[in-house]
Amino acid sequence: MSSYQTVRAGAKQVVKLLEKFPEEPFKYLVSFKTTQLERFSRIAGLPISQKDSSELSNKASIDTIKDVVNRTSGPLGLQKDMLKKMQAAIPHDQFSETSMKEQVNALSNLVGNKYKTYYDVGDKLYKPAGNPEYYQRIIDDIQGKKKENILDGLRTVFMGR
Amino acid sequence: MLKSVIRNPGSRSIARVSGINTFKSTSVQPFAYYSTTGNPSPLEQGKDNNGNEMQFNTKGAPIVRGKNSTTTEYKLPKWKEALGEYVIKTFGLDMDKIRAGPVSGSYYYSICKEQGLQYENESLSDSAKFFYEELKLPRTFSQWFQITALHEWMLFVRMRAMPFKYGRNYQQKLVDKTFNDIEMRLFDEMKIVSGRIVDQYSKDFNSQLKGAVFAYDVGFYTDDTTLATAVWRNLFGGRKNIDYTHLEAVVKYIRSQLYVMSRMSDREFALGKFKFVPATEKINKLTVAEEKEMKEKIIKKYEELDKSGLLLPSDRSNLSYDN
Repeated sequence: MSSYQTVRAGAKQVVKLLEKFPEEPFKYLVSFKTTQLERFSRIAGLPISQKDSSELSNKASIDTIKDVVNRTSGPLGLQKDMLKKMQAAIPHDQFSETSMKEQVNALSNLVGNKYKTYYDVGDKLYKPAGNPEYYQRIIDDIQGKKKENILDGLRTVFMGR
Repeated sequence: MLKSVIRNPGSRSIARVSGINTFKSTSVQPFAYYSTTGNPSPLEQGKDNNGNEMQFNTKGAPIVRGKNSTTTEYKLPKWKEALGEYVIKTFGLDMDKIRAGPVSGSYYYSICKEQGLQYENESLSDSAKFFYEELKLPRTFSQWFQITALHEWMLFVRMRAMPFKYGRNYQQKLVDKTFNDIEMRLFDEMKIVSGRIVDQYSKDFNSQLKGAVFAYDVGFYTDDTTLATAVWRNLFGGRKNIDYTHLEAVVKYIRSQLYVMSRMSDREFALGKFKFVPATEKINKLTVAEEKEMKEKIIKKYEELDKSGLLLPSDRSNLSYDN
């Protein structure tokens, strides 16, 4: 298999792994799953799903961004040379066979929950003595299982837990 | 059976705390670890799994408190010390509460701060090298804040496991000190003259901290993928072409630090015996027997100390040492 094909096969594996990532409960400015799926689908030569592309079209196009950048002397209040330095620090997408393999490895470790199981902290930290319900309350609220009423909220504000 | 790890003097506090070396280095390694000079970089660890003894570069190691510290320390005159002890004893002051300032606000903040501290035209410290060179993060002030916030959050997780009254106080002191310091650094180091702009930045950092703590909390409790996305959004600023090995390295770093903290008793943690293990060191899990041995030693040590009556009133603590 040529190196090009290996990279492509690797990218397909990455896409498969990325699809196992949980859906994000909120709408963030950027979504990890969406941006990364798009990035690796392109390398793998897979079609970018409808949902992704429709989301993409809502975002500012390259031309708009270029326009904004050109109109201001230093976007975000940053100096030009600073921007250049930041640009230089960010790595670019060029995968070799080995680097693609590493990506697959890293991602499968994450999906397999390798570190959470290996470095198990136990109930000491998952149900902390000072506030045993802390994490469960957050998770319940995110998943919409148990919405808290205003009294519970107020109690947390005043008592801290 | 316990092979001691060659550690740099900076990490001595952890070894001292546990009585034995908490981390051992073995020849069969489920995870490869990092080593510094002349060896493959931390991120290349996944490539070969043959574990060699670690080599540490002690140059540029962070400053640590204690007898090995090279910084000159201010010492109270003896009569003031005696007066202080007398006041604490007669009024029965709660030292665990008072200690929050010097331990959490001062010491714990300093170890969070130095992780990502960098100045232009100055060489990076070992911990900063991990973040700016290995993970290729931009060397900016806001990036420093994100690194600091990550470390503070790790301490928060441990502080929640302390009795509520004390843990909350420790958290509060850490946050207070952070924002005092940020304000000062924005004026002095970033050379911002307008107080209004500094205020704006402070508010911005405040919401960043809240968001980061929330995201990390969810990730910590659920799974590695959620934690990785939280890291990606916060620490890596949501950059598109992220190297997954970087994400993996940070997730591993976080989980391993939390593991170390989880093995520490409240007493030790509250006395400021914790120190972040450098990212260049690999942390192995303790076996059940080792953990038992370590706990017994700690319990024995503190039982003896408490019973001996040699402790000064200011050194006393009611926090448990057996959890």
